[in-house]
Amino acid sequence: MSTIAEGVMDILKNVSRRPIEPALSNDLVADLGFDSLQVLEVVAELEDRFDIAIAVDDVPSTRTVADVVDRVTRLVAARSNA
Amino acid sequence: MPRLRTLSDALADAAHADAGYWFLPAGAETYRSYADLYQASCRVSRSLVEAGLRRGDLAALVLPEAEPFLTTLFGASMAGTIPASLPVPVTTGDLARYLDLAGGILRASGAKAVITAKILAAAFERLRNGCPALEMVLALEDLDAPAIEPDSRPELDAIAFVQFTSGSTSAPKGVALSHRNVAANVEAINGPAGLMTGATDVGVSWLPLNHDMGLVGMALGPLYSARPGVLMPAATFVKRPAEWLRAIARFRGTISFAPNFAYDLCVRRVKAADLEGLDLSSWRIAGCGAEPIHHPTLEAFAKMFAPAGFRATSFLPSYGLAEHVLAATLPPRDRPLRSDRVSLSALTASHIVAPAADEDNAVTLVSCGGALPGHELRVAGEDGAALPERHVGEILLAGPSVMAGYYGQAEVTARTIRDGWLHTGDLGYLSDGELFVCGRINDVIIVNGRKYHPQDLEWAVDDLPGVRRGRVVAFGIVEPGRADRVVIVAEASGTAAPDTVVDAVRRRIGDLFGLYVDDVALVPGGTVGRTTSGKVQRAATRARYTQSKMAGPGVKS
Repeated sequence: MSTIAEGVMDILKNVSRRPIEPALSNDLVADLGFDSLQVLEVVAELEDRFDIAIAVDDVPSTRTVADVVDRVTRLVAARSNA
Repeated sequence: MPRLRTLSDALADAAHADAGYWFLPAGAETYRSYADLYQASCRVSRSLVEAGLRRGDLAALVLPEAEPFLTTLFGASMAGTIPASLPVPVTTGDLARYLDLAGGILRASGAKAVITAKILAAAFERLRNGCPALEMVLALEDLDAPAIEPDSRPELDAIAFVQFTSGSTSAPKGVALSHRNVAANVEAINGPAGLMTGATDVGVSWLPLNHDMGLVGMALGPLYSARPGVLMPAATFVKRPAEWLRAIARFRGTISFAPNFAYDLCVRRVKAADLEGLDLSSWRIAGCGAEPIHHPTLEAFAKMFAPAGFRATSFLPSYGLAEHVLAATLPPRDRPLRSDRVSLSALTASHIVAPAADEDNAVTLVSCGGALPGHELRVAGEDGAALPERHVGEILLAGPSVMAGYYGQAEVTARTIRDGWLHTGDLGYLSDGELFVCGRINDVIIVNGRKYHPQDLEWAVDDLPGVRRGRVVAFGIVEPGRADRVVIVAEASGTAAPDTVVDAVRRRIGDLFGLYVDDVALVPGGTVGRTTSGKVQRAATRARYTQSKMAGPGVKS
């Protein structure tokens, strides 16, 4: 779990064009300043790093860093169980 | 110039060619020949007539996917109704506010029908209470009448379609284009002075079809020349920019247009591994337009993709706007970018452009070429008279591509088109007969190739807790050669914590428009002035904001 959270934070820091220290409660748009392009960039990076597929339709309901970690965790678990 | 044709005639002609669209939605791929598309469009056309739609009725299309959108557009046009593309929800995160916006457009435009996917039909059905003219909400899946060709075809001067880009206020602006407008622009672009589209050309695009460059340039362009068009969703590109380049390589694409930001996204995000085996040597027209062109971006792109066979001479920077169908100017093909390094501070209206003396105060502008054949271009002073070369003024356009008007908005149309000249609201200058675009005199904000009207952004956040109603101003900070910065200044009502208000503003604009607000400034009551007619004083607020930013952190943000 912690490794997934760390991986997510790492990606968020790389994609952001400003220095940020993301917290789980942060909103991607309102707090971290991501625009819709960067949100999709985060999605692509998450897919590559965790070897998962995130449906673009799922993205809007993912608002906070905790939502992202949660979704990735579930997708990784589903992949391992498959 | 070839004979000008209506949309349905162009489609009927293309149906005889061995060509069509490739649709590349995520993880799938379908080919539809123009002959298949013609049949499907006849089906839609017949369904609309059976549903009771008549010639001249406005039918609003809310269809995010490319194939149904095009089939419905062609079918509705064939039936003699006027198809209108509405903005589609960016996310479903704030569907209620999106429906308010869509409802505003439907009400003001007097749309008779909405055509949408089944899952959205119920939501639109509920809007009918507030839209007396809206007689029917049709689910795309139900448009399955037999494919019978219509008895009569639309005239060349009938409205081909309307593109609504703005909606919130009482007077939504929908650009209405006649078949003549569309055909004149497409044929001029495809013609010998433009792309010279020929028997080996293949278009590749990820641009959305409710965008002029996506619809006219990359969908109708191939159709009118009966050549293949490859269309992928915008989200696929934004998620993985390399997918665009891979599609060009795989389909041996020759023509692809995109706004500046797309080239920038490729430079920043395409990885070394993506470059392996990538062959872009077929790409002879790399169009760039729809937003200010940033010279360093194109240079960086050319350098990065030269090993993949990309040629810098493929770049075709262009200027245009939806009110002129798509393109207004194009430079000659196959030449290096022509650029002009000029002093930033001289690039305002009525100034003479000066070469850059001080490097900190300089910008490189890229030539967008000259007017299309059969069209006219003028850079004018405030009195409308043409200015000499290298004088900055408003860009005016005349000719067969100038829109029929804003749909149902005679007054705004008359202000925008005067004596046959379309007043673009954009600033530029001519040098050796070629156009350099360097600013804007209207309020439009351009981000990632999309235009946003400040009134829409203001309306969108007006009802949020903590914001004083009617005391919100949105504007862009426009600097040549840079992307616009989006600013919202709002009077705080004190009923919500400032941080919460700022978050809510960003989230609302993100949900509705997919746009990030660079700065949300909450100001005390009485700061945002109003004109005597009750409109917010946008220019005055922007001037105060800019001054206080230059003076230091005066406005809280």
